[in-house]
Amino acid sequence: MLKRPADDHCGDRDRRRFVQAGSALLLAAALPARALERPIGPVVLTVSGRVRTPNDGADAQFDMAMLATLPQTSFSTRTPWYAKARRFTGPLLRDVLAAAGAQGTLIRLTALNDYKVDMPYDDAQRHDVIVARLLDDKPMAVRDKGPLFVIYPFDARPELRGAVYYSRSAWQLRTIDVL
Amino acid sequence: MATADDRRALSPAPGLHFSWLGLVGFGLALALLAVALVQARQFSLLREAVQTGDDYVVPMVFQAETEQLRLLDQWRQAVDERVPLDERALRLRYEIWVSRVDLLRGASTLRLIEAHSGYQQTLQQIEDFVAAADRALGPTPAIALERGFLGALLPDLEALTAPMHELSLGASHTVAEQMERRAVTVRQQNQLGLGLTVFLSLLTLAFAYTALRQVRQLRERRVVLEELAAKLRIARREAETASEAKSAFLANMSHEIRTPFHGLMGMLSLLRETGLTPRQIDYLRTATESADHLLALLNDILDMSQLESGRVALAVAPLDLRALLRDVEALMRPQASAKPLALHIDTDPAVPERILADATRLKQIIFNLLSNAIKFTDRGAVVLDVRTRDGSAGETEIVFEVTDTGVGMDEATLALLFNRFVQGDNSRSRRHGGTGLGLEISRNLARLMGGDIFARSRQGEGSCFTFRMPLRVPDDPALDEAARAPAGTPQTQHLQVLVAEDHPVNRQYMAALLETLGHEAHFSVNGEEAVQALQQRRYDVVLMDLHMPVLDGVQATRAIRALPDAALATVPIVALTADAFAETRERCLLAGMNDFLSKPVSPQKLAATLRRLFGTGAPAAVTEVLPPRQRAWGLGRALVDESAIAMALQAMPREKLATLVQAFLDQAPDTVQRLRAAVRDAQPLELRTNAHAAKGAALNLGMAGLAATAEALHEGAAYLPAHEIARLVQRFEDQLPATREAMVDLGVLRHSAQPAVTG
Repeated sequence: MLKRPADDHCGDRDRRRFVQAGSALLLAAALPARALERPIGPVVLTVSGRVRTPNDGADAQFDMAMLATLPQTSFSTRTPWYAKARRFTGPLLRDVLAAAGAQGTLIRLTALNDYKVDMPYDDAQRHDVIVARLLDDKPMAVRDKGPLFVIYPFDARPELRGAVYYSRSAWQLRTIDVL
Repeated sequence: MATADDRRALSPAPGLHFSWLGLVGFGLALALLAVALVQARQFSLLREAVQTGDDYVVPMVFQAETEQLRLLDQWRQAVDERVPLDERALRLRYEIWVSRVDLLRGASTLRLIEAHSGYQQTLQQIEDFVAAADRALGPTPAIALERGFLGALLPDLEALTAPMHELSLGASHTVAEQMERRAVTVRQQNQLGLGLTVFLSLLTLAFAYTALRQVRQLRERRVVLEELAAKLRIARREAETASEAKSAFLANMSHEIRTPFHGLMGMLSLLRETGLTPRQIDYLRTATESADHLLALLNDILDMSQLESGRVALAVAPLDLRALLRDVEALMRPQASAKPLALHIDTDPAVPERILADATRLKQIIFNLLSNAIKFTDRGAVVLDVRTRDGSAGETEIVFEVTDTGVGMDEATLALLFNRFVQGDNSRSRRHGGTGLGLEISRNLARLMGGDIFARSRQGEGSCFTFRMPLRVPDDPALDEAARAPAGTPQTQHLQVLVAEDHPVNRQYMAALLETLGHEAHFSVNGEEAVQALQQRRYDVVLMDLHMPVLDGVQATRAIRALPDAALATVPIVALTADAFAETRERCLLAGMNDFLSKPVSPQKLAATLRRLFGTGAPAAVTEVLPPRQRAWGLGRALVDESAIAMALQAMPREKLATLVQAFLDQAPDTVQRLRAAVRDAQPLELRTNAHAAKGAALNLGMAGLAATAEALHEGAAYLPAHEIARLVQRFEDQLPATREAMVDLGVLRHSAQPAVTG
């Protein structure tokens, strides 16, 4: 029953995902030749590790504007951290990784409070995991678990609703370490 | 037939086993349901645990406590005068702390730890602290951040450490308890599931055992039933064999009894000619009547036993219905005339003249119905109404309805009417005679013909018997297959035919007939002569009249068949007779005759018979001419039968026929004299012989009226009272001039006044 609305948009989303996947491939193929631009505002996300297009030493750094220019994805889902379903908006994790030219087998997410969690690299490819930067279309303060929040589409895929995926949904995301 | 064991195996056990099986099956279904419920419960429990993320609460509260300690540490550094104030680090730490403690207010968290005593108070304390700190550290600071402000709030922050630790511990304990509860539940359910599985296994075993046992018992029962069926089959076969044996015995005995019986009747006839006193003649008549009755009884029993053993086959052939009705009338009229009783036979003009039926059996049924009607009617009329109508199955049926004005019957009698040995009125049966089998035989025959007989009656108002059967009309108007042969087929075989016939007119008739067919006719006047003639020269076939003086046809046939020379003994013999009863036919065939020809003998019939005996090489007959409609139906009877005359004209020229007719009519007064003498001397055998001879000749020559009277005489000779016989003889005499006139009218005779044309 809860799946229904999501199912209705499934075809839509699938198509979109297909387009994004296509563009990600294009990016992945094109980017090594083109360096990632340098952040202008305060750095909110650092992608380190096996990054092929760093813009700061070995790391790829993003400010909020850079993340906002990537293709955006929105969905509403229920989570253990809010009483009701909330709407999350942000770039797909795989687009962010692609932007950084990151490729690996494991992604280690680190939060502001040093919370660390490992996610298979494949998760970003298989699921529409987003790096949410808007909650109900508004930026998130740190006290609101912002500024970045990794979110799985829990409602669209019931199999994601479990402790493992909840734990991989790191909030107050600070660093992505590609291993 | 079933033994006690059989019965025990057959009756109560199955029900019991079915209920056991049902019970076990029901138990199985219940157990399966219970298992399904337990599993559903486990599933929902698991889902609940996963969805609420209860387990997630403990690390969450622990994280909040950690952040509390880290903030406290950062806060203390900020208050410390010796180190520079890292405002950014403090703000971040504060924000993280806020985000963490904020989670404690989350929905799932609340549900799990709200029971904890200090929870609400701790939350209030945190809120108060955040409200105070936010004035400088919040998103919209009201005042500038400075050490004094931080120092003032430090004790409040420190004061939060203990309750948050309490909360952390409390959550741990609560979750632990909850997990323990869940574990207990799961364990209980597992135990329940285990128990159910064991129970299910046992039930399945019980079910399998019961089913197996039942299959075995069914098999045993089937074996018993098969044995029983086999026994019953054997018993039935035995019963059938016995019944067949009885029927055969009855048929044989009836037949065997009839042979000496005919001898007895013959002797009675002879006895009459030995000059008896009137009193002895009276005794003799009673004896003859009884003998006739007994013979009728035997015939009925023979019929019945043959019907029962299914040995009666219908000989369906095209027949002239009006001629048949005429025969019946001729037979019945004397009986009706014996009482003041009118007999009418009304035939609807729409009824076809030729129908397909078994003439003998049809006649038997009508005869039975009419004679019953006459028997039980003392005055008034008996009417036979023949008509056609549309039957129930969409086919046309022919209906013979016999209505009388007799005594009638009540409902009860009517209901029992067609049952064996039941007569309308027991008190009357002795008076009227009869076997009581007649109606049953008639109805069985009617049903054999695809029809039936119904009766309706009212006490004192007469009865009405309706016999109906499907009407079948011959496709070909021809009388028999001989007619289908092309006219003038070359005669391939010339047969030497011996005709044993006592009546001179019949001899001449047969001579003409055989000549027409291209055969050579030789004659003997009685059976003995025929046997002698046969031994003198070779004949291809013998046509044997049944009623002859000295040695009759049947005896002559027996004598021929007993000849030592095989070639002579096997000569084909065909009976010639004026009566067409099955019994007569049977008698002929039993005596060793090959075939049977009823008078009047047409060229077609004779040719067909000869062809049957001599194969396709035998000469074909003259084409059948459609008989003209009979005329001179005075009072429902014809003096002359035009169809018979037409047949005769095919066999011989008109002059020849005129000669024969003239000869018959010329000899008729002599015949009348002989008949009168026989009546006077009470010699029924003589009477019968003469009447029969006259009948045969009259039939052949188409003199139907005379033939009918002669037949009535022949039939009634044995039992009719003398005055009745005298009346019939008188009628015969009276019919002579009228017949002559009818013959003149038809152009057979030249003129009534003319003397006979010879040659």
